[in-house]
Amino acid sequence: MNTRYQGTQDKISKLLASYLESSNHPELEAHGEITGETNLVSDFTMDSFQVMEFMMELEETFDIMIDMNSLSNTHTVSDLAQIVSDELERTAK
Amino acid sequence: MALLDKFETAAAIRDQLQAGGHDPTRVVMDRIISPTEGIVEGRHTILAGTNNYLGLTFDPACVDAAKEAISTQGTGTTGSRMANGSFAQHTALEQELAGFFGVPYGMVFSTGYGANLGILMALLNPGDAVLLDADAHASLYDGCQMSGADIFRFRHNDVVSLEKRLQRLGDRARNCLIVTEGLYSVLGDCAPLKEIVELKNRYGALLLVDEAHSLGVYGNNGSGVAEAQGVMHEVDFFVGTFSKSLGAMGGFCASPHPELELVRYVSRPFIFTASSSPSIIASTHQALLQIKNRPELREKLWRNATRLYEGFKSHGFEVGPEISPVVAVRLGAKEVALPFWNRLLEKGIYTNLMIPPASPDQHSYIRCSVSAAHSEQQVETIIEAFSSLRESI
Repeated sequence: MNTRYQGTQDKISKLLASYLESSNHPELEAHGEITGETNLVSDFTMDSFQVMEFMMELEETFDIMIDMNSLSNTHTVSDLAQIVSDELERTAK
Repeated sequence: MALLDKFETAAAIRDQLQAGGHDPTRVVMDRIISPTEGIVEGRHTILAGTNNYLGLTFDPACVDAAKEAISTQGTGTTGSRMANGSFAQHTALEQELAGFFGVPYGMVFSTGYGANLGILMALLNPGDAVLLDADAHASLYDGCQMSGADIFRFRHNDVVSLEKRLQRLGDRARNCLIVTEGLYSVLGDCAPLKEIVELKNRYGALLLVDEAHSLGVYGNNGSGVAEAQGVMHEVDFFVGTFSKSLGAMGGFCASPHPELELVRYVSRPFIFTASSSPSIIASTHQALLQIKNRPELREKLWRNATRLYEGFKSHGFEVGPEISPVVAVRLGAKEVALPFWNRLLEKGIYTNLMIPPASPDQHSYIRCSVSAAHSEQQVETIIEAFSSLRESI
């Protein structure tokens, strides 16, 4: 685990749980704890619309912008945490 | 995974769609009778999902113009304009379109999809930033993605969300492109272009508006939503299609910027696509004249749209946020919407089924597009058909 973005990852995990709960995802209960390895698509069958909606929530929460192009290689919560951390670092400079 | 295994997902989607009886993506109209009627599976069917807003596909003047063009110029151009030359009618139509939008420059593409790819891929390069409405059409998404630019979405029609992103862009906002549509094709809601223009000017951005569904429908001259909201002169790039109100096939861009003339040299979808056939250019030219000279078509369209919208509402259906020629009924789960759409087709009403993730939220919709060519009786028949299925939801 990269400790550089552990805090960000924890926050994203909570946000994801809350998003999935609000959109009535049946897999949430069975999946258990959301970790860095949690896969948005295969674990929760999120479709492209939902993934992009969740990105917007992250943008608002962290006050950043996420380039849509970066999503093609984003599968797990850990991938997301890295994108958000990079963006937070970039905007802090 | 074997190369062809990837189609298993598509097969699952197909099976799901066909489980309702008919595949909504593969409806065949055995015969077209008029802009609003056809024969489907042997049934006389009212066409309420064809985007034929003004009914010009059978307009005698448009049909005659197309026939004449075939007789005098042939069936096709057999090549791209850059490599094989333009017909005089292509360049004349470009000037007409420019004039229609009150700008000096116009450019014609062979499809609406190609126009959006061609313009966005030319305007944007890697390192540029584009702010895209979340509900924008796939062609706008694809054009942005293929350009290599950084793409940031803002919430649909939400100027607060747009401004936040302009602020976050910092200095880059001055050089970014905002991409929106005039009329959105699923819910039938219009972009708040006045407010978007205000932001564009405040932050020094450029604005592209896709008037695909609003051309011929909005504004005193039928130019679209920008005209209707009084901001035509503030739009940097208008894009759109010939395949809806204009009743043909093709796309265009019109702009006050002389750089549009240079797009021809760098736009791969323009350079490497065969140009529109003479009949298409001729009927489109004639359709533009009809839009200019027959405001009664728009008046009839709006009467029909208002009646359908109010009719659905009076029967308890949840419809889009405003009256427009696109009337979408929200049905929630796709398990409800799919059989509903099937029953409508069996009753002789052809509509469009929109289900996630193609719908703009997590709900399913039955979408109708109204035409000026629909008779009052046809509109009532559509309302009755929906009403008769109300209990099934």
